[in-house]
Amino acid sequence: MRPTLLRQALAAPSRRTFTSATSTLPAFRSQLQRHSVQRLQRAAFQTTAQRAILPPLPQRIEGSVNDPVKVHEPEPAHGSYHWSAERALSAALIPLTIAPFAAGSLNPLMDGLLIGAILIHSHMGFQSVIVDYLPKQRVTKTRKLFDYGSVLAIFVVGWGWYEFETNDVGLTEGIKRIWTAKPKSLV
Amino acid sequence: MALRLATRRLAPLTLRRGMATTIESGKDSIPAASPITTPNRSPVSESKTSTIEDPQAGTDAKIKKFQVYRWNPDEPTSKPKMQTYTLDLNKTGPMMLDALIRIKNEVDPTLTFRRSCREGICGSCAMNIDGINTLACLCRIPTDTSKESRIYPLPHTYVVKDLVPDLTHFYKQYKSIKPYLQRDTPPPDGRENRQSKADRAKLDGLYECILCACCSTSCPSYWWNSEEYLGPAVLLQSYRWIADSRDEKTEQRKDALNNSMALYRCHTILNCSRTCPKGLNPALAIAEIKKSMAFT
Amino acid sequence: MLAQRVIHQSLRRVTASQQAFKFASPAAIATGLAFRTQRRTATATTISESSEHTKILAQQRLNRPVSPHLGIYQWQVTWIPSIMNRITGCTLSGAFYLFGTAYLIAPYAGWHLESASMAAAFAAWPFALQFATKLFFALPFTFHSLNGLRHLAWDTASMMTNPKVNSTGWVVIGASVVSAIGLALL
Repeated sequence: MRPTLLRQALAAPSRRTFTSATSTLPAFRSQLQRHSVQRLQRAAFQTTAQRAILPPLPQRIEGSVNDPVKVHEPEPAHGSYHWSAERALSAALIPLTIAPFAAGSLNPLMDGLLIGAILIHSHMGFQSVIVDYLPKQRVTKTRKLFDYGSVLAIFVVGWGWYEFETNDVGLTEGIKRIWTAKPKSLV
Repeated sequence: MALRLATRRLAPLTLRRGMATTIESGKDSIPAASPITTPNRSPVSESKTSTIEDPQAGTDAKIKKFQVYRWNPDEPTSKPKMQTYTLDLNKTGPMMLDALIRIKNEVDPTLTFRRSCREGICGSCAMNIDGINTLACLCRIPTDTSKESRIYPLPHTYVVKDLVPDLTHFYKQYKSIKPYLQRDTPPPDGRENRQSKADRAKLDGLYECILCACCSTSCPSYWWNSEEYLGPAVLLQSYRWIADSRDEKTEQRKDALNNSMALYRCHTILNCSRTCPKGLNPALAIAEIKKSMAFT
Repeated sequence: MLAQRVIHQSLRRVTASQQAFKFASPAAIATGLAFRTQRRTATATTISESSEHTKILAQQRLNRPVSPHLGIYQWQVTWIPSIMNRITGCTLSGAFYLFGTAYLIAPYAGWHLESASMAAAFAAWPFALQFATKLFFALPFTFHSLNGLRHLAWDTASMMTNPKVNSTGWVVIGASVVSAIGLALL
């Protein structure tokens, strides 16, 4: 009539097999040297903290189980506007990328536009990597460092490419020349 | 995998140390003693644990191996382990849940898992079977006995015991999107909130969600940022109310998602739609939310 | 089932209160009439949040392991191209950032990063090395570009069914490899 009774009755023999299986452990342990046992135990405590990309923290529940999680204030600049700009820029990169293939090369203005678009696209990509893998609450300082670093990088890299554009042949022409460079003996 | 290796090499020491620190919980939550172990414990492989065999295998038995994730909270410092069970498929029902129930009834009563309806409507038996999140009751046991089946709890969840994950945070997130009709005005005819057939059809593919959490726990974005990212299941539910013609708080619902974390951690990885045991499309629901919020 | 439950309930009541059993008829016990006063009130079942229970639970939560994730999830044509998209993007952007910075430093460090000298240096490399270097940049470029088109299509909420995601995923992988080899042979 009561399934729990039945289960308990069935449990008796199988529990025996279960314990006999685990009882090999002490025997296994006695074979090992004492210090290696300690190392094993320590390893059980400090497992693989360096192996995962985001080691999860011990579970803590904020508030009671019946409270909803906190809802953010709307921040369109980091939400819908950011997303829209990201998509618009990605879409704009399509003609800018195809143009040099079609025309053979770009004029300096279009080349500069391409560099600017790639720079901002890269920045947004790096930014989303930072947001994904460096949560603010968990690694506050590192996150701040990477946030400021990524903004600084825009200016440094932008300046570098400005120098390349003004003093050299430009991005598309430069890639084209290096890509198709042949040894002198073959030319 | 490649990413994990790359980050491991690139991550500076300060970053690793920073990740190991714990956050201060809210002031009204109970101050508990520090944990004895780290949650990041990979299971002991099945080659180092014993095999428990089917006690009632028949004469022409079709023996299949099942490797099941085990962790017992009564030994809080212990590592999880992969326990091997063998079952005679001739004496087992066709579904994975049948196998688990048979193990619990006839082989090892200590095995713990959730189950209720056994027909894919309650969502209790959601787990990771052979690498895919699904409902055990809707998942056939592969009849190929040469390959063992591996059963884990839902990925990247805190394990209560064996195959039982703690979904408290998931439910708290569900509650935060206010999953109910919000109206300020009474219905026009004073009796009920009517809806055209076309408007009702917009809810198809949304209302069927049973909140089994298969999709959310298949999403890498949710693995890394479940504290703030809502995940596919909850976002699908949010869209279910955004798309409802009778709801009058559509803009407030969208505003609640309009920040960098709650919605926009979705990078259209699409594991969610691929894994949904009910055949729904959470990724499409999220794309519709993003589209409706674009340039506004 | 119903009969079973009635018997169970009445038995439980009997054991709970032997006193009542002495004076009530068995029929009254079975129907619950004799126990009207035993009904629980709502206030009795309210659980205080600062009770010992939640403290024990909070302590138990701290020791829970996190279930395996990246290592055990099946390799699917959804998330593998997705992470590849990120890796290839970071490769290309990393190269873009590195060159921009290096070009600034070059005059002070004595490097020759002018396109003419780089082209001359590259031309002197053996063909295999040239091909490998070109492929190293061409494959991320073609994959990220083609997969980017897929992402843009998804952002308009189209092409988002499982079969389409599957087929376009393999098409992108195939097309990017072929076009990258083509570009590297230029």
